[in-house]
Amino acid sequence: MSEVVLKMQGIIKDFPGVRALNNVNFEARSGELLALMGENGAGKSTLMKVLSGVWPYPTYEGDIFLRGEKVRFANTKEAEAAGIGIIYQELNLIPGLSVAENIFLDRQFTDAKGRINWNQTFAETQKLLTELGINDIGPTDLVQNITVGKQQMVEIAKALSLKAEILVLDEPTSALTDKEVKDLFRIIRKLKADGVCMCYISHKMEEIEQIADRIAVLRDGQTIGEVTPIADITLDQIIARMVGRDIKDMFPKVDFTPGEVTLEVDNLSVTNPDLPGSYLVKNASFVARKGEILGISGLMGAGRTELVGGVFGAYPDQTTGDVKLNGKELDIKSPKDAIDAGIALLTEDRKALGLFLDKSISFNTTISSLETISSKVLGIINTQQERKVVKEYVDQLGVKTPSIDTVIGTLSGGNQQKVILGKWLNSRPDVFILDEPTRGIDIGAKVEIYKLLNELVQQGVTVIMISSELPEVLGMCDRILVMCEGEIVSNFERDDAKKEAIMAYATGSA
Amino acid sequence: MSADSNVAGVGVNGAKENHLINFIKDNATLIALIVLVVGLSFADDAFFTARNLSNLSRQVTIIGIIAVGMTMVILIAGIDLSVGSVVGLSAVVCTLMMQWGVPTILAVPATLLIVGVGIGLWNGFWIAKFNIPPFIITLGMLTIARGLALTLTNGSSVPVTSNVFPLIGGAYIPPMLSSIVLIACAALAVYSIFRDVQQSKAHGVEVNMQELLVNGAVMIGGFALAFHVFTSYKGIPVPVAIFAVIAFAGIYTLNSTRFGRRLYALGGNEDAARLSGINVVRTKMIVYTVISVLSALAGIILASRLNGASPNLGTMFELDAIAAVVIGGTSLAGGSGKVSGTIIGALLIGVLNNGMSLLGVVTFYQLIIKGLIIILAVWFDVMQKK
Repeated sequence: MSEVVLKMQGIIKDFPGVRALNNVNFEARSGELLALMGENGAGKSTLMKVLSGVWPYPTYEGDIFLRGEKVRFANTKEAEAAGIGIIYQELNLIPGLSVAENIFLDRQFTDAKGRINWNQTFAETQKLLTELGINDIGPTDLVQNITVGKQQMVEIAKALSLKAEILVLDEPTSALTDKEVKDLFRIIRKLKADGVCMCYISHKMEEIEQIADRIAVLRDGQTIGEVTPIADITLDQIIARMVGRDIKDMFPKVDFTPGEVTLEVDNLSVTNPDLPGSYLVKNASFVARKGEILGISGLMGAGRTELVGGVFGAYPDQTTGDVKLNGKELDIKSPKDAIDAGIALLTEDRKALGLFLDKSISFNTTISSLETISSKVLGIINTQQERKVVKEYVDQLGVKTPSIDTVIGTLSGGNQQKVILGKWLNSRPDVFILDEPTRGIDIGAKVEIYKLLNELVQQGVTVIMISSELPEVLGMCDRILVMCEGEIVSNFERDDAKKEAIMAYATGSA
Repeated sequence: MSADSNVAGVGVNGAKENHLINFIKDNATLIALIVLVVGLSFADDAFFTARNLSNLSRQVTIIGIIAVGMTMVILIAGIDLSVGSVVGLSAVVCTLMMQWGVPTILAVPATLLIVGVGIGLWNGFWIAKFNIPPFIITLGMLTIARGLALTLTNGSSVPVTSNVFPLIGGAYIPPMLSSIVLIACAALAVYSIFRDVQQSKAHGVEVNMQELLVNGAVMIGGFALAFHVFTSYKGIPVPVAIFAVIAFAGIYTLNSTRFGRRLYALGGNEDAARLSGINVVRTKMIVYTVISVLSALAGIILASRLNGASPNLGTMFELDAIAAVVIGGTSLAGGSGKVSGTIIGALLIGVLNNGMSLLGVVTFYQLIIKGLIIILAVWFDVMQKK
């Protein structure tokens, strides 16, 4: 058995009024990938910040041992020097600089006069990239011109150039395409073979099954159970540890007979503004029925987001095609037109496109339906009525918050998503489009969202759900459209849908 | 509510200190204003007299009116550099029209329409429709409007011939009527606060006592001071009354209307605002039109008070207006800010100008001090956010 390189013992970390970590214990060995799992707010990120010196001693209690030696970091530099590298979810690269400049930022090779030796800097960078088997980017490429997946590789290369022996990856795949994920896993396997110890934070069970050696679960700031080899634990057991109860039915699908056609999309195309003459969505036609959940599956970049964005009027200048709702031709020139017609769109990128982060829950809930709580002529808002409406949604959707005046940015991802759901429910849509509604959300909240979708279709709402998680699509949708390279390539009924067939169409190999 | 009380329960002493610090942070500009007023009252006998304060209030109105509009512009993460030139152009256009024989009652609204709405729509059109940075568009308008004013007048001043026009900037509401108006406003304010508290309690909403007390104290203090000043010296100046109405409309719009909400949304996250069904183009055009109309109005009041218009009127007013907004706590990044803060900011600048003049500080030094205070205010704002 390989050596224990990292041990965290009895870690306690308090924030004003909240205990974020409450006696965390775990150990990780060289050459293994330890999966750190837990719902949002379980304390994973805080734990990693303790490890990396973001929270220096003595702002926490407990001990950290590196190769059996007790360490207490005063800052992130010390942790870095001790061989701890962290790849955060939000990458820390400078877009306007080259790969080499980013990797050797502030550590460039210089001569005696302090002039940068670019040749050596580039050569060292190339060596690192070659070691990692990354051959499609070069040292002089600007970071802004390479994909997010490649940027992540650059971060990893940077950590390795700092001689990191412990590498923490915080949800590294959340913005990667399938191919990029494969590349990342290849590099992770190589690092394992080289004896690097990795702590891997993720929500995605499939990934954990593929690459983790052992798993530790955090719940409410505590480690639940022992660190367990992945072979000795089932998926259900992991989930049970994470949520503290058995989730009997991950996908509580209720059978429902779809009604008449509500939304008809005919020959919708969206042009690519960056590449004239090419299309993000090409001649897409589909229908959606009352009371059904229509799934849209496909790889990242297949044009799913652009398809629903086009329907919703998000890019009127780039979109052509016809949209009918309940038999009536719509002329949608802006999201406002779509909302007025009875269409709602919950966007994929919550922070950039969905939320007003520094505003209250109340503000966020009513912003797209202010007409319903204000006077017709001068638009004077009836605050009492607003409070009543918001309170109803907060209660109905089970948003965990001290008050409806709480700033939404302080809530967990799942609770933020519930507020956005409330915002769109309040616009009383006939067609509710949800783009990756459960991304980055813990399992408990996911199931609650699934239940809500069931309620909606039972009330006669047409639900369209884009999702990259196949189990979710298979578990919840009545019908599944598959997109590949901007086109709708297949249409599966629920009973005929199989994982393999969908993947074949999505990858264009069917 | 439970989580809140938990947080407050951590160490009683620490909590008390935090309350005091937070109180100072939340009301820094107001405290600075009060300290300045008290200090100046001791430093110079001429400062705290009804006559001086009445004049001071009238001086503040010009920048104040523009700054109300500037608050909205900055709230949506924009900027309008053309306001000073619009002041000059509207003063010139209005006085010229009267010279040509147009009666005051027509010349004023015509100026608001032609100069105010016209320039506002022009600015708004380019900014909203084509996404050109407001800094550039309004910088261009800064010189265009000034050039127009100079062209129309051939560079010389325009005298006022009308007997009615000077009343806009120079007249007073008689003391008797002023006191009735003030008492009525005070009563209305007390009633509305009382009703708010009642309704909040009825709906189980916790009332922020500290905020309530501060607001109440400021209001009572403000009304008492206004009552003293305006009843013992000629009454409420007409421009002050105009400013009060505009300020109230600004506060009410941002706090309590759909339009106000949309401004906060637009400034906070423009993409999310658009996807939430907000008509971004229209909203922006309205905001830039509002500030231009308000600037044109300020120009008219200024020309009236000076009894004539020089094409150079309003030069550098954009800086004072932006300073008032920023000192008042509105974020230049957009999405957060208040008109009440801006009013305090405008008062602070006004008191500073007035006080320094009384104390005989040379104008050159005044500029330096004002600049330092703007930097200080922004620094404070940045530190507070950390």
